[in-house]
Amino acid sequence: MAWVSQTYTGRDTLLDEVIRMGEEIVQSRNLEVLRENANLNGESFSGKMSKFGSEYSKWYASHFVLPTRLVQAIQDNIVYVHDLDQYALGTTNCIFIPFDKLLRKGFNTGNGSVRPPTSIMTAMALVAIIFQSQQNSQFGGVSANKLDFDLAPYVAKSFAKYFRKGLDYFEEGDANADLGDITMSRSDLRDQYPKAFNYALKETKSETFQAAESLIHNLNTMSSRAGGQIPFTSINYGTCTSPEGQLVIDSLLTATMRGLGHGETPIFPIQIFKCKQGVNQNPGEPNYSLFLKAAECSAKRLYPNFANLDAPLNLMYYDPTDPDTEFATMGCRTRVLADRFGRNHLSGKGNLSFNTLNLVKLGLKHGIALGHRQEPDERGFYRDLTHYMNIALEGLLHRFSIQASQKAKASDFMMREGVWEGGEQLAPDDQVGELLKHGSLSIGFIGLAECMKAMYGKHHGEDEAVYQKAYDLIAYMRDYCDGQSEIHNLNITLFATPAEGLAGKFTKRDRAVYGPLPGILDREYYTNSFHIPVYYNISAARKIELEAKFHGLCNAGAISYIELNGNARNNPEAFLKIVQYALQQQVSYFSINHPIDRCSACGFEGIIGASCPSCGSHENEVHIRRLRRVTGYLTGDYQTRFNPAKQAEVRDRVKHDA
Amino acid sequence: MRAAIFISGCRHYCKGCFSPKTWSFDYGEPFTLEREAEIIHDIKHNPLLSGLTILGGDPFFSAAEVCGFIDRLVAEAGPLSIWIYTGYTLEELIEHPGSPEYELLRRCEVLVDGRFVEELRDPSLLYRGSSNQRLIDIQPSLQQGQAVLWEPRFTF
Repeated sequence: MAWVSQTYTGRDTLLDEVIRMGEEIVQSRNLEVLRENANLNGESFSGKMSKFGSEYSKWYASHFVLPTRLVQAIQDNIVYVHDLDQYALGTTNCIFIPFDKLLRKGFNTGNGSVRPPTSIMTAMALVAIIFQSQQNSQFGGVSANKLDFDLAPYVAKSFAKYFRKGLDYFEEGDANADLGDITMSRSDLRDQYPKAFNYALKETKSETFQAAESLIHNLNTMSSRAGGQIPFTSINYGTCTSPEGQLVIDSLLTATMRGLGHGETPIFPIQIFKCKQGVNQNPGEPNYSLFLKAAECSAKRLYPNFANLDAPLNLMYYDPTDPDTEFATMGCRTRVLADRFGRNHLSGKGNLSFNTLNLVKLGLKHGIALGHRQEPDERGFYRDLTHYMNIALEGLLHRFSIQASQKAKASDFMMREGVWEGGEQLAPDDQVGELLKHGSLSIGFIGLAECMKAMYGKHHGEDEAVYQKAYDLIAYMRDYCDGQSEIHNLNITLFATPAEGLAGKFTKRDRAVYGPLPGILDREYYTNSFHIPVYYNISAARKIELEAKFHGLCNAGAISYIELNGNARNNPEAFLKIVQYALQQQVSYFSINHPIDRCSACGFEGIIGASCPSCGSHENEVHIRRLRRVTGYLTGDYQTRFNPAKQAEVRDRVKHDA
Repeated sequence: MRAAIFISGCRHYCKGCFSPKTWSFDYGEPFTLEREAEIIHDIKHNPLLSGLTILGGDPFFSAAEVCGFIDRLVAEAGPLSIWIYTGYTLEELIEHPGSPEYELLRRCEVLVDGRFVEELRDPSLLYRGSSNQRLIDIQPSLQQGQAVLWEPRFTF
């Protein structure tokens, strides 16, 4: 089908390709391939085994499955198909899990059925199991969009148990009496049975904290994907104002701050604190102290990130009576909220797949950077852009047709248990298409900054007029997605791509053609989505202001970062001020990066140069573990797990001073 | 988050100084009126700033000039919290009321005082390098004629 390049025509050539593929994996020759994903150890046995599968699967898809125009666009280095290894299979990307439903009704993992939990300890253990069961149904992340609301009922169950026990122990009353719903907010019970009530409160707090601690440990230890990968889990919380929900939030934050076994910063789950005016943003609001605690935790542990429920694009779907309508993210940044078929809530659906456009290459073709013209050819640029968006979309639609024709039993747990809303009503051999249409198909982009540089000689952080051009470009892409949604009657959205495996791929090939053009191709990577380049000197406030406007356009998700150089732990005031400034500027999803280094000799955590400031050990003698964030996920040690392009990007990050 | 200005020139010559090249009074860029205006403009238009921190060198070797800068800054940008670092002690600085050093001190909120003593170095200290150094709340100290320590008002 998709025979495009002349070089693919001979069977011998094909065989050579397959053999070389195997050799590169076995001998760990190609670091870009092995470290494509920062959370997968591509040099481990199981990592290599999974590479054999994924590399062949990609090769098969690009030779025999993809539309011809898409293969050509990939070869042109303008379109990138993410998770190509899953294309031919029809696997979908990611999901927000309806934990409330699964816990309430119980579920079946495939090997056995699980009863609904009756305590918070068991409920949190089951959360880990549900994440684990779900994650092999898809290739991307798994997220809880309202874990505080989902778990609050089980805190109440634990409380009720302890309360009845207390009534008996302290001989305050009849343990079996009908007292209505026993919850932590029942002040009448507190007044009538103070001993039992306080005992229950104490025990419940201790149990919830232990449950949170074990959840975080579990999510960092279940290597259930090949290559020692743990599920890409995210948990969102922050807005549940019942005492039980507040206890869940508080316990998760405390457990995160305490760290793992030796006090290490947990890599998973990604945690996102949902910020909402009237709930947790100002003194006097019910969850304000939890917001402060979240900021403290983030200053110590890089998580939680901050989701802005008040940003206009999120607020328009917000229903204060339904926490499932509260904006949350899939950690890396993916956003699914609106649905043209009416499911305007989060849980039970997700993104299906996305293709990313290399804006830089288009800028080089039509801009002034190569010296071919004095004035940029904007008409040519837009014509070309539309052409490639059409191809990217064709790929998404084609892939969707493969995904839609899969049987329910292929995604097993996800459909059988109704993790994807409605899946439980399908028979194992039914096709899933009617349900998948509630998910999103997204077109992403990378390198807006270098694209502007190639077109106009300056990027959008350097010049107001160029900023307007950049904004218009992304607005055009959004309009395109909206228009195509109408035409195809699907949720087609615009994505500020997380540049995980992609950061260096486009660049490497463009550079081979054009050479190291200053400001465009002189680095090993392209700048993430619409970000102001990490190497560009700009104040934190200005970076936030410039990037904020793009958030409103990227309805498939976006994130903005600020890099802090100081030890953020020592400066809570600055930390809070920056977070609230970003929220006020209507950034939809925000996070602050700051270095966390850990000396393996003495356990000191903070900023470590060549030598540990605490014990003096030099990095050549002892291992300094350097924790950094890539595309929303933390990774244990960026010098051994990041691919070379991402390492270069981290090196170049300018700290955003005042 | 604070703006930081390093004023070159220092004659304390502490052993283990984090930035000995700033001992020279010729180090860095000239602090011209234009540069001052630029800095004032940046500070005034940065919504995230909580104040200004003046370091060195040691700004007290250029006390009169720094006073002039602070006055211009406050006149244009309004009052703001100023922290200042020195190798002198508070007691040395308040010995002669009316001196340029005293005048500079009077314009600031918090003083980090004392020479850096390498033997007393402790990286866990907040905002200072060695344990002999103090964080001093300047205004009450001036009123009482003795050092009143500054306490963080915002803690996690």
